[in-house]
Amino acid sequence: MNQFEKKEVIQAVLIADNNVEQLRPFSDKNSTALLPLVNVCLLDYALDALNRSGIEEVFVYSSLYLQSVREHIKEGIASLSSWSVNMTVHVIGGEGCRCFGDAMRDLDAKALIRGNFILLGADAVTNADLRPIFEQHKKTVKYDKGAAATLIFKEAATCNVRTGNEVMIAVDRQNNRLHHHQRLRLHGKESHFEVPLEVFLHNSEVSLLHNLIDPQIAIGSPSMLSLFSDNFDFETRDDFVRGILINEEILDSRIYVSLLPRGQYARKVNNWLTYCMVSQDVMNRWAYPLVPDMGINCLAQQYVYLKNNIYKSRKSTVIKAALRENVAVQAGSHVEAGTSVSCSVIGKNCKIGKNCVLVNAFLMDGVHVADGCKLDCCVIGVGAKVGAGSALTEGTVVDAKSVIPSGKVLKNVIIKCALGEDDDLVEKLGEQAFIIDDKQDTQSTYASDSEDDVPPTTATGIPKVAKLPPICDESDYTSSSDEDESRAVTPLVDDTNIFLAEVMDSLARGFQEKSNPDFLILEINSSRYAYNMSLKEVNFYVVKAIFSLEDIKEPANQNVLVAINNILKQLGPVMSNYIKTEDAMLDCLRALEDICEENEYVRAKISKVVHYLYDKDFVSEDAIISWYAQLDVDEHRTLRQSLKELIEWLNQSSEEEDDDDDESD
Amino acid sequence: MVTQEFQAVVLAAGRGTRLPEVLTDSPKCLLPIGPYPLLWYPLNMLQQHNFQDVIVVVLENERSEIQQALERTPLKIKIDFVAIDSDSDFGTADSLRIIHDKIKSDFLVLSCDIVSNVSLYPLINKFRQHDAALTALLFKSGFESDVTLPGPKTKHKPERDLIGIHPDSNRLLFLASASDFEEVMSVNAHLLRKNGKMTVFSRLVDSHIYVMKKWTIDFLLKKENFSTLKGEFLPYIIKKQMSKKTGSSAAAPDMQSEVGVALKPENDIFHYASNTHLEQRIQKATLFNDSRIKEPYNGDLIRCYAVVAPKESIGVRVNTTLSFFAINQKISNIWPQLFNEGEHLLISSNAVINSTQMKEVAVGDSAKLSEKTSLNFSVFGANCTINPKNIINKSIIMTSAIIEEGCNIENSIVGSRAVIKRGCVLKNCLIGPSYAVEEGTKRENQHLTNADGFMEIDIQ
Repeated sequence: MNQFEKKEVIQAVLIADNNVEQLRPFSDKNSTALLPLVNVCLLDYALDALNRSGIEEVFVYSSLYLQSVREHIKEGIASLSSWSVNMTVHVIGGEGCRCFGDAMRDLDAKALIRGNFILLGADAVTNADLRPIFEQHKKTVKYDKGAAATLIFKEAATCNVRTGNEVMIAVDRQNNRLHHHQRLRLHGKESHFEVPLEVFLHNSEVSLLHNLIDPQIAIGSPSMLSLFSDNFDFETRDDFVRGILINEEILDSRIYVSLLPRGQYARKVNNWLTYCMVSQDVMNRWAYPLVPDMGINCLAQQYVYLKNNIYKSRKSTVIKAALRENVAVQAGSHVEAGTSVSCSVIGKNCKIGKNCVLVNAFLMDGVHVADGCKLDCCVIGVGAKVGAGSALTEGTVVDAKSVIPSGKVLKNVIIKCALGEDDDLVEKLGEQAFIIDDKQDTQSTYASDSEDDVPPTTATGIPKVAKLPPICDESDYTSSSDEDESRAVTPLVDDTNIFLAEVMDSLARGFQEKSNPDFLILEINSSRYAYNMSLKEVNFYVVKAIFSLEDIKEPANQNVLVAINNILKQLGPVMSNYIKTEDAMLDCLRALEDICEENEYVRAKISKVVHYLYDKDFVSEDAIISWYAQLDVDEHRTLRQSLKELIEWLNQSSEEEDDDDDESD
Repeated sequence: MVTQEFQAVVLAAGRGTRLPEVLTDSPKCLLPIGPYPLLWYPLNMLQQHNFQDVIVVVLENERSEIQQALERTPLKIKIDFVAIDSDSDFGTADSLRIIHDKIKSDFLVLSCDIVSNVSLYPLINKFRQHDAALTALLFKSGFESDVTLPGPKTKHKPERDLIGIHPDSNRLLFLASASDFEEVMSVNAHLLRKNGKMTVFSRLVDSHIYVMKKWTIDFLLKKENFSTLKGEFLPYIIKKQMSKKTGSSAAAPDMQSEVGVALKPENDIFHYASNTHLEQRIQKATLFNDSRIKEPYNGDLIRCYAVVAPKESIGVRVNTTLSFFAINQKISNIWPQLFNEGEHLLISSNAVINSTQMKEVAVGDSAKLSEKTSLNFSVFGANCTINPKNIINKSIIMTSAIIEEGCNIENSIVGSRAVIKRGCVLKNCLIGPSYAVEEGTKRENQHLTNADGFMEIDIQ
């Protein structure tokens, strides 16, 4: 029996298609797992990482591009890729799988997983040794039968670049249990994090960790798969984490956390910005031994490693060109004189013309760049051609086989070689070059980052290849409101404010629950006596409170009149209870004057509002006219202007009335 | 006089609002803890740390009583009493404001209700090491968890603090009371962005032992709206750590600070936490750095640190009836940990002790414990009389109380000058001061008192 247990085969699941649209246009045509990063497919990085951790059986799960993934694996095994040694790789998948959750449910149905397993995306690049974490997970499971998964995070330098992979978590320091998980916003920084109080009260030591990168690597228990099956609404891994955290007790499952030690690297490539970052990291040897000259994937040495992190194939020719730093040049490529290359990758059989400048440029196989081009922060697909004198900058992505005419200056665009069905054409550059709309507001991609703590922009801009900030900028200090005014400094809330707040509370609740207006009046009266308000003040504040209700502050469809009508239908009796005399009506109108200054919707429609009150007999015309007369000419110029017509009409009608009276006499 | 590096202040003007059952006319700081009054413990602690003198802030009307009480204890430390007006409502920060002209250097602030054997040196060293504005000592809570409070059963809901500490540097980043929040705790994102991580402790108690820079008292003097240290000043200064110096001084950091001072508004805390030219140069030249990528301390001028007392040490704040009861019940047990052997006596030499069955008891001055009694885990105050044939277990018998014959008292507090008559059986009871328990009374979980305002007890 013991022998069997010792021979336990560790299984891993690699999710090859994760239906990302963020790597367009490449993700439109092929699995992102096959996207080359420093001339090696992402899938090979992931498989290599698993092999180095001693995993013996891997299931590559693919759906949409099952065939091409299967071929890639077959080819890899045939060419004796480094990962094929001592590791069996199965490609499985199905057509119906649309999301991560579906893949997990399918795996559960297929019953291929026998025990704890390692789960990662094919887009993870890591040199982490997963074995110790796996062993730790087994210990955790022994102790806590409900341990569903151990998530792996990597502590990052406190850098300000947001790639969508950053998380903030709350972890119990004593047992590493996850209590709170929040993905950081891509754009704009959070001003506050809100964590349930019970997390802190139930656990004596809770770590809040902010500077974490989530490479989406996890150790799963068998129960993780069945949890996906039981909860069909889990679509993504985040859904799973959130669902477990909310229903920990109902599902009887818990999630644990493991942080990678300092020397180990892990990152996920899910957009062009991370693509650029990980490429640089690989060339900078952070992911050692996953570095170009060690021959990831193939066992032969492909590059000569020169100083300043230059990886140059022996079969490439670089004539009097400057390779500055962090450059990989693959076999068969040719770089002409006068060209300078830094922080860039050049694939197989590329041709770079004379006097080009390449910075942060990622060229896949067979790219032809004519003379005098400037490529800065761009990605160029297989077999694409760039005409002489072009400048591609600021995150431009060029699809495979595109042909860009000479002399084009392109900033931050996506170029495809042919129009697809759901692409929106922006501009046609040539027969094989179309600028397409990348379905997002690109304007605000980075503009919003300069300001701190802006409210969340609605833009869903996907990060582009961009120059990375060399050092981390200082996190700007934002003095939040609660900071400057400590509790002691705030002035004592005076009674009128408390009274107003109480009346507003009563009314809001009464309106929502449709309670009897008499009760509301009773409530307001008791507040009145509690704070010793004069009748005048009560009149004023009741009206003010009614018009400060949420529905009037932010009316639906911005139609404030409908909102007022709705509210007064319910609360009208309350108002008329107080607004009875001429003086009270004046108080009421004065309150309205106040509201005008606070609420632009009311301000715009003030004459209609007053007219409405007049119609419904809340205020008399005499009150309106005397109020109007009291309005300061300079201070309330606009108010007077908007009321002018109404007053004229009122004057007229009253005169008519007078006339009528006269006649009848 | 040679200026010392640190002065010490003990705040003993508290009214003990959380100890209503045991407190009557005597000051909170004179509550008996074993054989000594409460105030003796922090003073003795300072004496053990080689402080020569100490400033004690007391209420005017309690001053002479406290002075007399302390004279009867073995203290060598020189005490400078400062009395504050007993009518006005003074907070701890107000107390400090009163004595500002006596503070000439950085100083320690202790509350009068600390019973602890924790060494203060780590705390002081942390302060020195980082040139901190403030360091605070934290105890682990739960000292009184295994003790049941006598009297009617109440739901004991301890106040809990949420204390955020940076795990690597021990910077004190966050301090709030759990009752400040309802369902969610909201943390300023900037705090986390800047520090990366923070460990939030919910079962630590603020010991109310702080080491503070001298300038903090100047700042307090200007900011009159802070009335308590823990509740108002501490959260404020902890938050202010993260903010940058604003205005002119930030624009020209290398300028001599004297020039900048005049321009800054007086109520800005950075006006007080000034960074001299020399300090700036030292910081530039030093190899020390507490973070990998940024300048030392993130360039923060105000730095607060926390030191968590070692797990096995003892630290109790006697500020509730429960903690008062707990410390007295356990005092004999922890006595050897608090003091070296023979240094201080648990049983006063003036006490008349004829009892032969005694286990873990503390006996005050001139107490009279008669023969044929069984006395365990209890404290007997000064001048109290225990007649023969009594069994007393886990209880506190306060000063001048009299227990007549044949009583069985368990887990109870007998107030000062109270009389328990013949043959009473009391369990989990609170007997108020000067209260007389009739002969043969049998009670459980009750609060018997003369004072108005407490519950009415009908005596059969």
